[in-house]
Amino acid sequence: MAQSRRDFIKKAAALSAASYLGMSLPIDPRNIARANEGVIWHRGSCRLCGVGCRVELGVKDGTPMGIRGVAESRTNFGYICMKGMHFWKCMRHPDRLTKPLYRKKKTDKFQEISWDKALDIAATEFATAHKEGGGRAVAYYGSGQALTEETYFFQKIMRAGLQSNNVEGNPRLCMASAVGGYLTSFGADEPIGSYSDLEKAHCFFIVGSNTAEAHPVLFRRIMRRKLDNPDTVKVINVDPRISQTSRIADIHLQFKPGTDLALLNAMAHVIVEEKLYDEKFLKNYATFRKGKNVATSFADFKAHLAQYTPEAAAKKCGGSFTADDLRTVARWFATSKGTMSLWSMGLNQRKQGVWANNLMHNLHILTGQLLKDGADSLSLTGQPNACGGVREGGGLCHILPGHRLVVKEKLRNEVEAAWGVPAGRIPPKPGLHTMAMFSAINEAKIKAIWINCTSPVQSLPNCNLYNKGMDREDVFIVTTDIFPTLTTQKSNLVLPTSFHFEKTGVFGCTERRSQITKKAIDSPGDAMPEVWIIREWARKLAEKMNDPVITQCIVPFDGLEEDYELPMAIWNEYTQKLTAKRDNDLRGATYEVLEQMADGVQWPAPTAEYALTGGTVKKFVKGRDPMADTESKNDLPYQFYGPAHADRTLWIWHRDQADPDEIPDAEYPFYLSTGRIIDHWHTMSMTGRIPELLRANPYAYVEVNPKDAERLGIKPGDMVEVKSRRGVNQLPAKVYEGPIEGMVFVYWHDQHKDRMINKVTKDAIDPGSKEPEFKICAVQIKRLSGPQPLRPYIV
Amino acid sequence: MPISGVIITSTPEHLDEVLSELQQFPQVEVHGADEKANIVAVLDTTSSEEMETIIDRINKDEKVLNVGVTYLNTEDEAEQMAQGEKLPKPFGFRKPQ
Ligand code: SF4
Repeated sequence: MAQSRRDFIKKAAALSAASYLGMSLPIDPRNIARANEGVIWHRGSCRLCGVGCRVELGVKDGTPMGIRGVAESRTNFGYICMKGMHFWKCMRHPDRLTKPLYRKKKTDKFQEISWDKALDIAATEFATAHKEGGGRAVAYYGSGQALTEETYFFQKIMRAGLQSNNVEGNPRLCMASAVGGYLTSFGADEPIGSYSDLEKAHCFFIVGSNTAEAHPVLFRRIMRRKLDNPDTVKVINVDPRISQTSRIADIHLQFKPGTDLALLNAMAHVIVEEKLYDEKFLKNYATFRKGKNVATSFADFKAHLAQYTPEAAAKKCGGSFTADDLRTVARWFATSKGTMSLWSMGLNQRKQGVWANNLMHNLHILTGQLLKDGADSLSLTGQPNACGGVREGGGLCHILPGHRLVVKEKLRNEVEAAWGVPAGRIPPKPGLHTMAMFSAINEAKIKAIWINCTSPVQSLPNCNLYNKGMDREDVFIVTTDIFPTLTTQKSNLVLPTSFHFEKTGVFGCTERRSQITKKAIDSPGDAMPEVWIIREWARKLAEKMNDPVITQCIVPFDGLEEDYELPMAIWNEYTQKLTAKRDNDLRGATYEVLEQMADGVQWPAPTAEYALTGGTVKKFVKGRDPMADTESKNDLPYQFYGPAHADRTLWIWHRDQADPDEIPDAEYPFYLSTGRIIDHWHTMSMTGRIPELLRANPYAYVEVNPKDAERLGIKPGDMVEVKSRRGVNQLPAKVYEGPIEGMVFVYWHDQHKDRMINKVTKDAIDPGSKEPEFKICAVQIKRLSGPQPLRPYIV
Repeated sequence: MPISGVIITSTPEHLDEVLSELQQFPQVEVHGADEKANIVAVLDTTSSEEMETIIDRINKDEKVLNVGVTYLNTEDEAEQMAQGEKLPKPFGFRKPQ
């Protein structure tokens, strides 16, 4: 019987899924070949979150038509999630930006202009701003979604060309506290271990992270580990909100928002009191600190913990778990054969974000649940290239490429020498961090800003306040993006860029892993890769400012075509010159090597030969990390050679519980927390354009605990007002046993002016990491009416 | 008319229940299940929207822990797009009222 093409495809789909389980189906494998006729599969990374899943984009006659996972990849073993399955569809969407658009005044209508004109305008505006106010008057605000080559190249032009350290990016809003935590606890940014610990862990401690929805493919690995070992593997979920992640948990500790530092200190209290710590590990590798880096002792630490009894913590946390629950959790954590902690924004987006990270690391250092298989303290990243591009490539105001601090002259000089620009060219002071940058825009102290691949109009906390500045006519805004966003609506110049798979470059995911995605299809219209845009803009800047140093910044890249040669030359400059002998040594991870690997390379990877093995799975371990051997200072097996701790020890910190910036009171009696849903991602400019994702959750809603709902007379679907001291939203209610009593929860992806929750959130920041406290503020809740027909909205 | 290959994982004690629930969906073809409660299925729908609705419904089932996609083919829609045919507009694209 003749088979239709659909039959071949269905059989290929069944075989694909069955092959993952080693299940054999009575289907002829030749169906796969028939289904693949005319299709070219291009390997790359998923664009939609920090897990870094490897995928293949199917292209038929120049059009993307399908996606499949890469089974041999150690990030996802071939699985993808609902977001990953659809992201490619926005590539051919009719709303893509395809022409440069310009308007002199923000109230004018946009006009299409040529690239030459557009870059001329961008160069003139930056040159003028620079003339008036020097490097302080210009800024770049980038993204954890930009390729490493893009972030690196932008910051090079800003720092060496325009002599400005006003280089920031949206990872400040999500990852900065994790960076601060790693640096102050371990002396080096980014996790010590890898995802491969998931299959070896015996205890999972998941805190402040809805992994099931935010990182579904990793959740699958945790779930598999638990289901395969139901009696020996424990899953602990610690969160004010019960979520899908709790489904596999042995125990869920629900705590009052902002009390987690007390909870973590109480766990340390139990570990110390019951002598569950690893004495030898502490003796060899740890020291104690308090306040501003004052050395203390184990005895001091013990005395400091005295107040954090499990009883006191259970009370402080709201009374929904007992002191004995907390003891059980601390014992599981300390005594398992390998404990892995995972967290994301719940710990980071806090006024005490760095401290919360320190307390998490404290537990691992105390118990020696680090450096061995199945044990790690792993912060999960939200964006695909927050680690690789922004943290490693110099994308924040205080750091230069290769984890170098701006304030250190020697390190600045190294960068200047690598770039061939005069010593002293890079300003010695860090630039403005994100919230300070947008405050400076409010005051028009910054006159020209380049916003790349992100939408601060929607994503900044207390956004009403900062949107005023972006409306100012004396602040020139240029944005590079693939779709119109609320931020392009406040721009003077909008430049259309190539999307993922329309250009070549590298992403570095959560586990220190760099992976390349090569160009597979052409960009629509006149959209161009950012690396080309930066080079051509810098060329015009050099002319207008008559500055040969700016020319020097682009000399190595002159004449290279933009789809492959140019990004490769940028990657080579960055990795060979600026990561050499740094802790993120990527010299071995050349394009040639990355293209051979199913799943990229984990740094440090100093040589190509080593990189071809996959790189370093565990940092700091002799025999497993080449730098632990080359940087070794004694006979011990672990060597903490990170740049921030000259004493080469792990630091255990005294960090006290402290309340969030705003806590509920009589006037604003509820906690508000915000987060992400499985179908949508960040500001929805991509996922909102994919009908399936949008229809599944057309608009944001507010989750209300059933007890609170009953008290306030709120029924499912009713319209509810959520009001803070800063702004107000009107949203439909979901009455749900998710948030703890006294707390409401809102997803933050909706672009509609009535449902944009960042109008309500608070812009208090962590004094160390400068990351805002998105997760906690105080609000009023009021029922407005019964259910109303609502319309989804995207720009 | 998209086709996908998926692995649906249920809580082990509910495998049979989940299997019989999946039979209710004419768009879901179950090809087998293993002792670890992994179910191999093919989803064949008339539109991407329908595909999404079904995955979402399966995902939200309390007895289901994870739906992992391994393969997705939407070449019919891609062809329509390539020929300039407009896909139904997603929600949105509307200015605030
Ligand atoms: S988990 Fe993240 S990287 Fe993986 S497929 Fe889903 S969105 Fe993409």
